[in-house]
Amino acid sequence: MTTPVKIVMVEDDHGHARLIEKNIRRANISNEIAHFADGGSALDYLFSDEVKANGPLLILLDLNLPDMSGTDILQKVKGDERLRRAPVVILTTTDDKVEIQRCYDLGCNVYITKPVDYESFADAIRQLGLFLSVMQAPDIE
Amino acid sequence: MPATLRARFDAFRRFLNTPGFGRRVVLLLVIALALKLAVNVTAFVIIDRTAQQDALSRSFQEIRRASRSVLIGVLSAETAQRAYLLTGEAAREAEAMEGLREVDRALMVLGTAASRDADLAPLVEEVRATARDKAQELGVTLDLARSGRVTDAVRVMATGQGQALTDRLRSGVGAIDDLVGRRLAAANSASTNGLRTVGVVNGISSVLIISLAIAIFWLLRTYIADMRHKQLELDRLNAGLEDQVRDRTLALTRANEEIQRFAYIVSHDLRAPLVNVMGYTSELQSAGKALEAQLAAVEAKSPKLVQPDAVAAIREDVPEAIGFIRASTEKMDRLINAILRLSRDGRRALHPEKIDLKTLASGAAAAVHHQTDAQGAEIEIGDLPTIESDRLTVEQLLGNLVDNAVKYLDPGRPGRIRIEGAHRPDGMVEIRVTDNGRGIADRDLERIFELFRRAGKQDRPGEGLGLAFVRNGARRLGGDVEVTSVAGEGSTFSLILPRRLTVTASGEPA
Repeated sequence: MTTPVKIVMVEDDHGHARLIEKNIRRANISNEIAHFADGGSALDYLFSDEVKANGPLLILLDLNLPDMSGTDILQKVKGDERLRRAPVVILTTTDDKVEIQRCYDLGCNVYITKPVDYESFADAIRQLGLFLSVMQAPDIE
Repeated sequence: MPATLRARFDAFRRFLNTPGFGRRVVLLLVIALALKLAVNVTAFVIIDRTAQQDALSRSFQEIRRASRSVLIGVLSAETAQRAYLLTGEAAREAEAMEGLREVDRALMVLGTAASRDADLAPLVEEVRATARDKAQELGVTLDLARSGRVTDAVRVMATGQGQALTDRLRSGVGAIDDLVGRRLAAANSASTNGLRTVGVVNGISSVLIISLAIAIFWLLRTYIADMRHKQLELDRLNAGLEDQVRDRTLALTRANEEIQRFAYIVSHDLRAPLVNVMGYTSELQSAGKALEAQLAAVEAKSPKLVQPDAVAAIREDVPEAIGFIRASTEKMDRLINAILRLSRDGRRALHPEKIDLKTLASGAAAAVHHQTDAQGAEIEIGDLPTIESDRLTVEQLLGNLVDNAVKYLDPGRPGRIRIEGAHRPDGMVEIRVTDNGRGIADRDLERIFELFRRAGKQDRPGEGLGLAFVRNGARRLGGDVEVTSVAGEGSTFSLILPRRLTVTASGEPA
């Protein structure tokens, strides 16, 4: 039996984090969610022994973080021999074309703009949940 | 003409009244010229005087020659007389007569000269008298000899009277000679003095002119050195100015970039909390629905338990509050998006290309086809030139103006919108969108171009963005937008753009 995918959410806005979590749960996704409010602690966790020892990961990443840009984290994750296979979903307010391109260039798997309109937002998260429920994440070893 | 002359004269007077390099040089040159003129005048006067002296000398020489001719004539006549007396040859007699005629001629010349000269006249008179006496004595002896009385003639000669006359004549001529000699010496010394004066005047003025030349040279040198110094100073200042301009331009560019970045960041950072406000408002709304269901259930089971306050809160106050929060947040989102768009437009690279404005205008008219049809309005497209600019921006600008024209037509009359344009002599292209809509009051003419500002009756949807975009975009393309309007009759918006847009390599307006 495969280990369930663990969701690592890097989001500095607690309101956003809670809304994302609520909507993921509403989509009947019960995977464990680890939430980090800044880039530093998220990186510490991603490169810790605990993560190395445990199963597959999915990273939900915001770009506007207080201590660094989300793209820095993306770059480090995609530059790491083990972590680079983990799917990264960028979930952010920025809908700047250049920024989106840059993220895909760095190897992000999905880029989602947080719409201000809540219905669309909730919808997007639910769809993401559906997506997660069928997604196969590779093992990290 | 007199006015210009007076102006010239005034300018000249000002020049003379202003101390400085120019006035000094002019003054020195004037002095040098005056000196040269003085030398010339002196030389002219002296030369004239010398010429007079020369003429005088020549006449003196003539008198001298004439007086001597008198003596020589007498002497040769006397010699011939004696020879005739000795030989009786007729030729000798003729010679004697010739000598006397010579004397007459010379006397005539002397007479003329003496009539002009008081000193000479008595001397000439003396000579003339003596010569006449001598000629008479010679005549007597010659007559005697011709009539064969040679002995009588010799006797007359022997009286020595003839000899005495000759001697007297000699001394008379000598006296004339002396007078002439004295006069010639005087004339000579006068002309020598004149020449010396010319020499001295020449010398002095030469020295002065050379000093003036040295003074002018020195002035010029100082002046040129001064000029060069000032030129260097000016160059230095110019270089400083260029540096300053470069610095300021750089500072402005930086400030502009800063503002763009600022607007961008602010828009994004403003959006994040908005997501929360919207999200949790929705959460509240669903919570309200749950409460409402609960309330309905309680009402059905035990109506006594229901408080009227709770009913008002759940059914009216909360939904109303949520409605207002929602509307405001949505509006705020639109405003933020507008700022974001402005900031993005300001950063987008421009690609100048040839644009047929007529085609572009037709496109803009087609885009509002539905609205115009519905309102029974017409869009007429007049003459339009081609332009070299950024197609997307020009399209947006024209589209916005046409949208506005259609949006603010007066429902009381059939709408007429006209799009036309032409090249202007200053290298710009003017595109006019004229409508017969509701018009704009004078006090609002500037306000309408500001972000989030609108004018007139607020009965049409809009956030006050369109014209702010138009102005922003037109200025980015190196142009501007202007409006003339009569409230109640219609407006004309003029888009003024450079005929050719020039951009830097990175697509920034040059």
